Parts: sequence; C-alpha cells; structure tokens
Amino acid sequence: MKRYDVIVVGSGPAGLSAAIEAAEKGLKVVVFDENSKPGGQLFKQIHKFFGSKEHRAKMRGFKIGEELLREAEKASVEVVLNAIVVGLFLDKEITVNINEEIVHYKGDAIIIATGASENMVAFDGWTLPGVIGAGAAQTMMNLHSVKPGNKVLMLGSGNVGVVVSYQLLQSGCQVAAIVDAASKIGGYGVHAAKVARCGVPFYLSHTIIKAEGDEYVTGVTIGEVDSRFQVIPGTEKYFDVDTICVAVGLSPMSQLLKMAGCDMEENPKKGGFVPLCDEYGETSISGIFAAGDVSGIEEASSAMIEGRISGAAAAYKLGFIDKEELEIKIEKLEKALSSLRQGMFGPGNKGKDIFRTEEGYDISINLLKKGYLTDEEVMKYPGVKFIKGIHPVIECSQNIPCNPCQDVCPQKCIKIGEKITSLPVVDEDSTCIGCGLCVASCSGQSIFLVNEDYEEEYTSVTLPYEFLPLPEKGTRGIALDRSGHRICETEVVEVKSPSAFDHTNLLTIKVPKEMGMKARFFKQQGVGI
Amino acid sequence: MRITEHPILGEANKGRLVTFDWDGKILEGYEGEPIAAALKVAGVMVHRHTKKGNSARGIFCAIGRCTDCVMVVDGKPNVRTCVTPLVEGMKVQTQYGVSERKLD
Repeated sequence: MKRYDVIVVGSGPAGLSAAIEAAEKGLKVVVFDENSKPGGQLFKQIHKFFGSKEHRAKMRGFKIGEELLREAEKASVEVVLNAIVVGLFLDKEITVNINEEIVHYKGDAIIIATGASENMVAFDGWTLPGVIGAGAAQTMMNLHSVKPGNKVLMLGSGNVGVVVSYQLLQSGCQVAAIVDAASKIGGYGVHAAKVARCGVPFYLSHTIIKAEGDEYVTGVTIGEVDSRFQVIPGTEKYFDVDTICVAVGLSPMSQLLKMAGCDMEENPKKGGFVPLCDEYGETSISGIFAAGDVSGIEEASSAMIEGRISGAAAAYKLGFIDKEELEIKIEKLEKALSSLRQGMFGPGNKGKDIFRTEEGYDISINLLKKGYLTDEEVMKYPGVKFIKGIHPVIECSQNIPCNPCQDVCPQKCIKIGEKITSLPVVDEDSTCIGCGLCVASCSGQSIFLVNEDYEEEYTSVTLPYEFLPLPEKGTRGIALDRSGHRICETEVVEVKSPSAFDHTNLLTIKVPKEMGMKARFFKQQGVGI
Repeated sequence: MRITEHPILGEANKGRLVTFDWDGKILEGYEGEPIAAALKVAGVMVHRHTKKGNSARGIFCAIGRCTDCVMVVDGKPNVRTCVTPLVEGMKVQTQYGVSERKLD
C-alpha cells in the first residue's frame, strides 16, 4: 500500500489548490481524478471571472485552470488520472479503481474535493435524446468544439443557465428562450443582460410542460405557473427547438465523506447533503477535509480559496508549518473568501428577496424578470452619468463581488472603494481618455463608453463584443437596445482588439444622438448574432 | 455542427480525421475525440434503447456520469461514448437493453 502525506480526491479548482498549497509546504501530495484530464469544470469556463485581483478576476476560467496546472507541476504535485476513488475509510485509507484494478493508498490527511453533480427535473419527455444538462452543452462546445444543438431552449436562469446561454450564442447556436419556474432571474443581472441584449427572451414563472418528439427532441412546450408552481391552462407556448438544456442547480457529491462516517447534514443553503466542517474544512473525522462544492455549492473562485485553506490546515496538522504561519495564511484566505461571499448573491442571502442595493438604490424588477434595465431605470445608478466628451457608462445595478473596473482605469474615473460588492461610481471630476480598459475588464460586460459629442448629430457607443465574425471599421448593421430590439441602423467606426483585452473586442458604433443611451449591441446583417 | 472557429477559443485543432462504423454505416470523426462528439456531428441522436420501455436515450451529461449514452463498442456493451476516445475503424452499435440485438 502506497503512502502519502496528503491524498486529494478531485483535480478541479478546489482539489488542485489544496494540493498546491500542501505541496508548497513540503508535503508529499497525490491527486486522484476519475477523468482523463485534470481541471474539473474549469476548462469549460470560457467567461471572465468575477472578484478582485486576489481572486484572479477578469481572467477566463480555462486560463485559471492552465495556471493552476502549471503551479501544481512546479510544486511537484502528482496527479493520477482515470483513477476513480471508490472507497474512503475511517483510518484515511482509500481504494482507487485504476485500469479496472482496485489499488489501496493511505494518507496522513485526506482532502475530498469531488465537486458537484447537476440536478435534473423530470418533465414529460425529459429522457428524450436532445434533453441535456447545461454542463453537457459546455463540454461539447468548449472542450470538443461541437455544437450541442442548433436551436436550444434553456431551463434555469441561475448563473449556469445564463452563462451557458451566452456561450451557446458564442458557439453559433440559437437560444430560443430562457425559462425558469421561479419568478425572478437567479443569476447575476449583468449575465442576464448579456443575453437579453442579443435578443434572447426570458420566461420567468414558466416551466416545461413537455419535450416534443418520438425518438428525439423536435420542440418544446412551456407554460406559465401559478404561485404553487401549477401550470395555468391556456398559457402554453411552443418553441421549435432541437435541444433542451437543463440548468437547475447542483448537488454536492459527498458520498465518499458519508461512506467514511463523517457527520453529515442536509442543508438546502449549501445545495444538499454536506459534511459538517470546521473553519478549516476539516470534517468530524480528524484529518479528513472537504473543500469546494462538495462542502456547499458556490463557485470556482471560492472553491480555490477553500482548497488553499484545507491544504494549509493539513500542512499544519502534519507538522510542516507552525501555528503562527497557519494563522497568518488563514487570515488572508478567510478575508479573500469573505469578500467573495458578500453582496446580494452571497450564500447568506440565498432565497431572500432583496429590493434595494447596499447603497439604497432600487433593484430593477425588470432586470429580475426580463433580464434588462429599462431606459428609465438605468439612469439612476451611480455608474451612469452625463459627462461632456467620452465617458464610461456602467450599467452595474446589483451588489456583486467584483472590482476590476476600478483597478484598470488609469484615470481613476471609476470608484468602488474597499468593499468589492459596492456599485461602481463614475467620478465626474476625472477625465476619461477612452482607453476602453474598463469595458474589456468588466466580466459582466456592463460597461460602455459613450460620447455624446462624437459628431454633431451622432453619439458614439463603445461596446464589448465576443462573437464572430468580428465586424470591421465601416461594417454596417443594426443597433439593438438592452432588450435586443432593433432601434436604428448603425455603422462601426472603430474596432479595438489588443491582446490585453483577452478576446473581448471593443466595437465603437455611431448612432443618432437620441439613441446613445439605448444602443447596447451591434447586429450584423445576415449574422445570427 | 462543428465549431471551426470560436471567438474566445480560436480555431479548433482536432488532429486526424478517421472513419468508423456506426450500425453498418461508415462515418467520420476526429481521432481521440469522444465517440459521442463524432456521432453528434453525424446527426446521430439515439445511442441506445432501454430494456424496460424500449425508449430512446442519447447524450445527457457528456462527462461519463449518467451512462445514458452507452453503446456497444467493438462488441463490448455499456461503453460510455461521451468519455471514450474515437479510434480509427471502431465498430459502434446502437445498444438495445444490454446488447446490439433489437428488442422484441
């Protein structure tokens, strides 16, 4: 039986971070993963992450994955792939299925970072080919470069639902609608706004009645639900789609921890059946830790910090670092974790109705129902000001943990302050130079540059654009408003795509003066998007 | 169905195109990609029929967890096509129950 100081199960963001932290402290670490490639779901995350610098904000998930793999290699972490951990026992022994053989390993500490699995809802026809998980869509398009379908209906408006919908559009699929039985959009408003302005309609308080088709999906019927989630007769709507994508939440994959005998609880706020852990992620069994989604559903950024915490705690437990070093380390990590957990989407606010931001601004009901701010609503947020010449217009209206816009502005035009969930404020006394760094750095794509003085009759609007084909200067098209409706003809007057923008191209379009605060997307003639 | 150029990921670099046998038809796919990806591109939606209700199943989770996409591959049933790499000349068959023989 092989022995290690630390055995990590799962090579996703939490597991890799735990392994790196422990290995950097001198521990002998092995990571087992059942997949043929390491990284968990990180390599499917092609959007820019939220947070602040310390959380690697504005980096795309797959780039963070590449960075983690490099760090793991540098720290001499051993990663064993195609290795399914099938047993975890009280004395920190594990059994692993490798090439159809069961191999025993023993660790002085074990860190379980097995992540989560997707939830499903059973509607009529849900087993038909063509009904897939949102994760499956991401896997097919972002890892294997295959479209999961041509016309897709998304069930679920949480962050996974809206992010994957946007990625489907980027892959050239049509998204017919985003449907959710809840009465409000569950994901970040900025993520919803990204798809709404492309013309994707939201149907809140709606559910799938039936997936149509005999052998595979040929369409879908949805209907409105009442307050008891019963379909209201007469509200049925049919969509001609070939794919139904289901994004209705995740459940921790905590089976190994239960098997080992860790104290468990059913905790809806954490997404299901989770181990009871102390502040270091240690379970009721000394030396067995849990990190990432397996101990409560959050997202990759917090999973990485939880991994670091458990890795450091394991190093302390085995005598590789002293109490003081541990405490300094943990204090820093806890601070980073706590800043991510603030705001209206933080775990503490799960399921709560929030009507005002921390600053006292009204939360847009339209944003929660339809995915976009109305022309009137947008004017009242502190990121939206009328200033002479070019200036940023920040349509960020919910308290989410994110501040790259403040960091990147060389002119200090954007102020968020210490608390990273605060709404960005555009400072009227600073002078914007129109560099566009804020536009490209905004993971929510909610920053635009507007210049009302562009030409006598025209206002210029600079917007983030992550689709193909990339328009050129002079390309003519249609300007769409926040809801995806066509508002006027327009022309691209500038395209910027330096490598620092990391594939977020900046298109500047010119629109008639009165459209400057309406035009938020550019549609090319003859292009799906 | 293939995404040849992606706005974030760039050009897809999939390697060598090979042929394989699906229920007696010759299809093409890239060596090493999941069998399920090649089938998807070829428009194959149904991977198997269940033993109990003879109802169709296809790709569902695409990460080897749900086992909905299993097929008979080179004579071996219950192969998860979403995580099994395509090899030139592979024989891939629709699975009925637990074999390639159609259910009565």
